[in-house]
Amino acid sequence: MEQFEVRPLLPLHIGGLDLSFTNASLWMCIVTAVCAIFLTMAASPRKLVPTRMQSITELSYMFVSDMIRSAAGTEGLKFFPFVFTLFMFVLFSNVIGLFPLIHPFTVTSHIIVTFALAFFVFLMVIVVGLARHGLHFFSLFAPKVPVVMLLVLVPIEVVSFLSRPISLAVRLFANMLAGHTMLYVFGTFVIGLATAGGALSVISIMPFLAIVAVVALEFLIAFLQAYVFAILTCIYLNDALNLHGHH
Amino acid sequence: MAAAEGTVESTAEPAEHAGLPQMDVGTFPSQVFWLAITFGLLFFVLWRKTLPMIAGAIGARREQIEGDLGTAETLRKDAAGALAGYESALASARKGAVQLANDNRKGIQTEIDQMKAAADATAQASAAEAERRIAAERAKAVVGVRAAASSAAADIVERLLGMPVSADEADRAVAAVETKGA
Repeated sequence: MEQFEVRPLLPLHIGGLDLSFTNASLWMCIVTAVCAIFLTMAASPRKLVPTRMQSITELSYMFVSDMIRSAAGTEGLKFFPFVFTLFMFVLFSNVIGLFPLIHPFTVTSHIIVTFALAFFVFLMVIVVGLARHGLHFFSLFAPKVPVVMLLVLVPIEVVSFLSRPISLAVRLFANMLAGHTMLYVFGTFVIGLATAGGALSVISIMPFLAIVAVVALEFLIAFLQAYVFAILTCIYLNDALNLHGHH
Repeated sequence: MAAAEGTVESTAEPAEHAGLPQMDVGTFPSQVFWLAITFGLLFFVLWRKTLPMIAGAIGARREQIEGDLGTAETLRKDAAGALAGYESALASARKGAVQLANDNRKGIQTEIDQMKAAADATAQASAAEAERRIAAERAKAVVGVRAAASSAAADIVERLLGMPVSADEADRAVAAVETKGA
């Protein structure tokens, strides 16, 4: 799977750690640059009647702020810049990774990247929760049920809480990996059938059409997974902010 | 194997690796390091520059709309006030005009009455004067007629009877005829 390979471009070793600037790092920089430049350029007209590009930025602003408000309440808006950045970084990584011809590297198709993001969210939830509620934060693991039930429920709650960063990371990683693998597999079918000659060459149109359909689906998934990542972050933040409070 | 070093370079020989490149632990430090840098940079740019820009545009629009609505409300109230003022001014002007017309009419009426009274008085005075003069003339004429009648009667008697008649007798006779005739 050549498209997932990480190759060093500029070797860099600090304190025994290999921190080389790789093609993955390059694409992270591209994602950051495209995202920052696109959003800033689009937002810069600041017209009273927004331009089309300005509308995109304002709609995404309202989209993310509404998402936070519905999942974590008004207090969650303190984390708006972080959630917005997270959403945009994942979205641009996913979408840029889908463009053909430029041989992109999909940053979010690497488990370590998604896990690092998810683990950061996990740590942030714990830090915010402890800072806000002190040790009372751990009441998160004890729902209001009869004491006997707690014997069963507390371990379940703890395990589900600890598995959050894993599920968050794996969901995004697996979706990206599966999508790109599927496109790769259909691609090899097209090449294999087309070069086989005869009737098989004619049949090769079918996996080709499948690729077209899957690419469309992958664009949907690219957006959807960014949304899921962001809204789960909001839901976890809601736990830290409001414990069992519902919004 | 190179993988034992845990270096990124180990992926330079993909044929040596079974499984996914994602599972190459050697790339993890580099990935996390550059992710932290790029994500941090993006966060900083969006947080400090882009998001305030977007929020500013949205806020400015909201303020503009609210301000415009407020101005419209103020102008509407002003217009309503002006209309009320206009109507009250119109009503008072109308009342004033009616008052003025009534006053004028009364003034003219009294003037007419006065002039009519004066004219009546003058007319009555001259009528009385005329009557008085008529009466005087008539009285004078009556005296003249009686005298003429007496002298005529005396002349007639003198001519018929050939005897003179005194003026007194003639007068008495005329008076007697007068009373009989009356």
